[in-house]
Amino acid sequence: MSRVARFRLPLLAVGAVLVIAGTFSPWATRAFGFPGKMTLSGFPGGARIYALVLLPVVVLGVVDAGGRRRAGLFGAIGVFAVGAFNVIAIANDGGGVDAVAFGAWITAVGGALLVLAFVSLPPDRPVPSEWRTLPAPAELAIIAAFLGLLLFGVDNALSVNESSRFISFLLFAGFGIAAVGGLGLFGWLQELFARHRQVALVAGLVTAAAFPFTQNGNAYWIRVFASIGVFATAAIGLNVVVGLAGLLDLGYIAFFGVGAYVGGLLGNAGLSTMHVHVPFVLVIFVGASISALFGVIIGTPTLRLRGDYLAIVTLGFGEIFRITANNWDGLTRGPNGISGIPGLAVGSFKFAQSHEVFGITLPYFANYYFIELLLLVVAIIGFTRLNSSRIGRAWVAIREDEVAAAAMGVDTIRLKLLAFAIGAFLAGAAGTVNAHLATQVSPDSYTFLESILLLAAVVLGGMGTVPGALLGSAALFVIPEKLRSFQDYRLLLFGAALIVMMRFRPEGIVPSQRRRREFREEGAIGASGAAPGGPVATGGAT
Amino acid sequence: MTQFVQQLVNGTVLGATYGLIALGYTMVYGIIQLINFAHGEIFMVGAFAGLSVWKYALPDSLAHNGWVALPLVLVGAMLASVITAVVMERFAYRPLRHAPRLAPLITAIGVSIFLQEAMRLNYPNGRRQQAFPRLISSGTFTAGGVTIPWVSVFVVVTAVGLMIALQTFVRRSKTGKAMRATSQDPDTARLMGIDTDRIIVITFILGAALAGVAGVMQGMRFAQIDFRIGFIAGLKAFTAAVLGGIGNIAGAVLGGFLLGIVEALATQYVPQGSAWKDVWAFVVLILVLVFRPQGLLHERVART
Repeated sequence: MSRVARFRLPLLAVGAVLVIAGTFSPWATRAFGFPGKMTLSGFPGGARIYALVLLPVVVLGVVDAGGRRRAGLFGAIGVFAVGAFNVIAIANDGGGVDAVAFGAWITAVGGALLVLAFVSLPPDRPVPSEWRTLPAPAELAIIAAFLGLLLFGVDNALSVNESSRFISFLLFAGFGIAAVGGLGLFGWLQELFARHRQVALVAGLVTAAAFPFTQNGNAYWIRVFASIGVFATAAIGLNVVVGLAGLLDLGYIAFFGVGAYVGGLLGNAGLSTMHVHVPFVLVIFVGASISALFGVIIGTPTLRLRGDYLAIVTLGFGEIFRITANNWDGLTRGPNGISGIPGLAVGSFKFAQSHEVFGITLPYFANYYFIELLLLVVAIIGFTRLNSSRIGRAWVAIREDEVAAAAMGVDTIRLKLLAFAIGAFLAGAAGTVNAHLATQVSPDSYTFLESILLLAAVVLGGMGTVPGALLGSAALFVIPEKLRSFQDYRLLLFGAALIVMMRFRPEGIVPSQRRRREFREEGAIGASGAAPGGPVATGGAT
Repeated sequence: MTQFVQQLVNGTVLGATYGLIALGYTMVYGIIQLINFAHGEIFMVGAFAGLSVWKYALPDSLAHNGWVALPLVLVGAMLASVITAVVMERFAYRPLRHAPRLAPLITAIGVSIFLQEAMRLNYPNGRRQQAFPRLISSGTFTAGGVTIPWVSVFVVVTAVGLMIALQTFVRRSKTGKAMRATSQDPDTARLMGIDTDRIIVITFILGAALAGVAGVMQGMRFAQIDFRIGFIAGLKAFTAAVLGGIGNIAGAVLGGFLLGIVEALATQYVPQGSAWKDVWAFVVLILVLVFRPQGLLHERVART
């Protein structure tokens, strides 16, 4: 290994030259519809730009700052992955290895050399614990720039239509973010957002509200994003239960279903078994409250159980809900479900119509998108306020050690019940909106797998954080939409992702500040040999 | 009355399968306090492996001779289940042994979904139901007005035989003693020179072998299998394990038979019973957990 270390700089230089040469050379020998004009030389089009853009990040790894190994290594892996993936994709789509031109090979080899250059570096020193503070206007400008960049990135990512190019993009974004994260940038950003919470929330809301305006009247992604909003609201609710209180609920989708059925039954649906029409604003509250009531009813006997029993019992309740909805013809119309739920209308404003704002046509899903956004904001505010309150601390105490928490005077049963009810409330609210968005409710939308999907969103994104739940829901929706050819492998990949995340990064993609701090403290204690089971064990995910 | 006895018999047969799967749950829980969600999928893998042996590995002349085919199918099923379980333990659970309890639980769910989907996508025509051979006589006999298929006799006799064998193994053998020691106190067991990692693997192997046999039985009884059978069977078996007292081998057997009988009777005597047939197990589970969480025969696990 030390022999490699001596050649680090030459390796790096040769690797970088190869990558630059490779990205400016053709990647395919013949044109067969592979995206990005890969046969042309002299410009880095298509996926080639991703490899090229990662190069400066790799070079940052040479600068002696915190996180140099991570930045260099992840950036280099990203370059290699983009190159190697395209070699495979071009050979696969173009009908043979001879379709791959030398540029792609050179880039992959260059990436591999870069990886080699960084592999032997010693592990990074921990990122400095003192975050730098800038003057307030500068910080606000950074927040604005970040959100703008985010909107731009999302719009950009959605406009990539080809599967192979989207995968290249994912490799680029994933490794790039991991590399930049190694420099401590994201921890700093999180701190920044926490410091200017209100401004950041408003700015985030404005950014999200701007999204439908970037779509040129195209409804497709607005619809998907409205669904993501619904899903994310439920995911934040689940995050209260799993992420904060540490209660594993495997039947959570049932609460969503209760809300959806209430929305359908009270929303004047064509096939509702109750012929009433309640104003929507009320329906949301009724749906959410009934759902919360169910949460309390289910929680009262079960929350006394040990955690792993709770998982199975909630799973059982989830199944009972589905089977009941399937069999109670008099109320739920059994397997047919309730269809013909009308579009919403507040006064003369019809939600199921497109509108024109500032000369830009907003398809009608945009209206639901805005409602959902509002609901999501309420959920986010509720979550963050609870998280930093006395109740939130009590939940964390219960999560870490229930017996100790009870001994310290925390009323564990009541607080767990509260977590359960709040989670159910949010899911119910999301469910009522979803009933109107989907215009129908049927029992087969509330299966065990849906519960698992929500759980996966929370676990992958990061338990106990809002950005985690948002990121997780967005990823679970957008990636399958983009990679149609992988649709069939979706669940297989989620299963694998759950296993891999628990093994290597149990705190999720966006770990919570509290966990981050715990990590740092544990690093110090661990040095004196006090932390049993290593960092994975102690920094884990209960 | 005949009908009642008939349902008792049906329930006993049903319960034999539940009991066999429940043993895997209960032993693993007894030793590492993990609800191995993926155990139902081990059972499913066994059923598919048994079918594959019959369909692809046996020559036609042997495939229709039950005396030759059945043992080979059973061995194939057990082998596949055991290999899956060992790989799963090694790569998914063992790295998380000292992690907080939520982590292995989520991993177990991931493994479960992964195995289901892998089977659906990779088995030839795996999305569809697969016809499963009867292997032995598909005939029945009648005793006092009660009709009993020969397959059911085979199922109950084999299951009870295996349960007795397991109980004897755990009680009498040196390895069994080591298993009991590990379940009581893993740290002290290790100090006494017991290789606890090895004991944990053996526990997974035993549970998986029984689940493999149960998979073949399920196929023989219903004449068809699909990639989903593991999920619901796993849940019911888990209920059986809790009902008997999780960690308790005799309890799992008792719980299996009781649950099978409850389900058969409820399906018969509750109006519209068959539409709700998967609900009874959950109702039993919830009632047990609320009123007698230690199970009928008590947990045998040393709590820490």
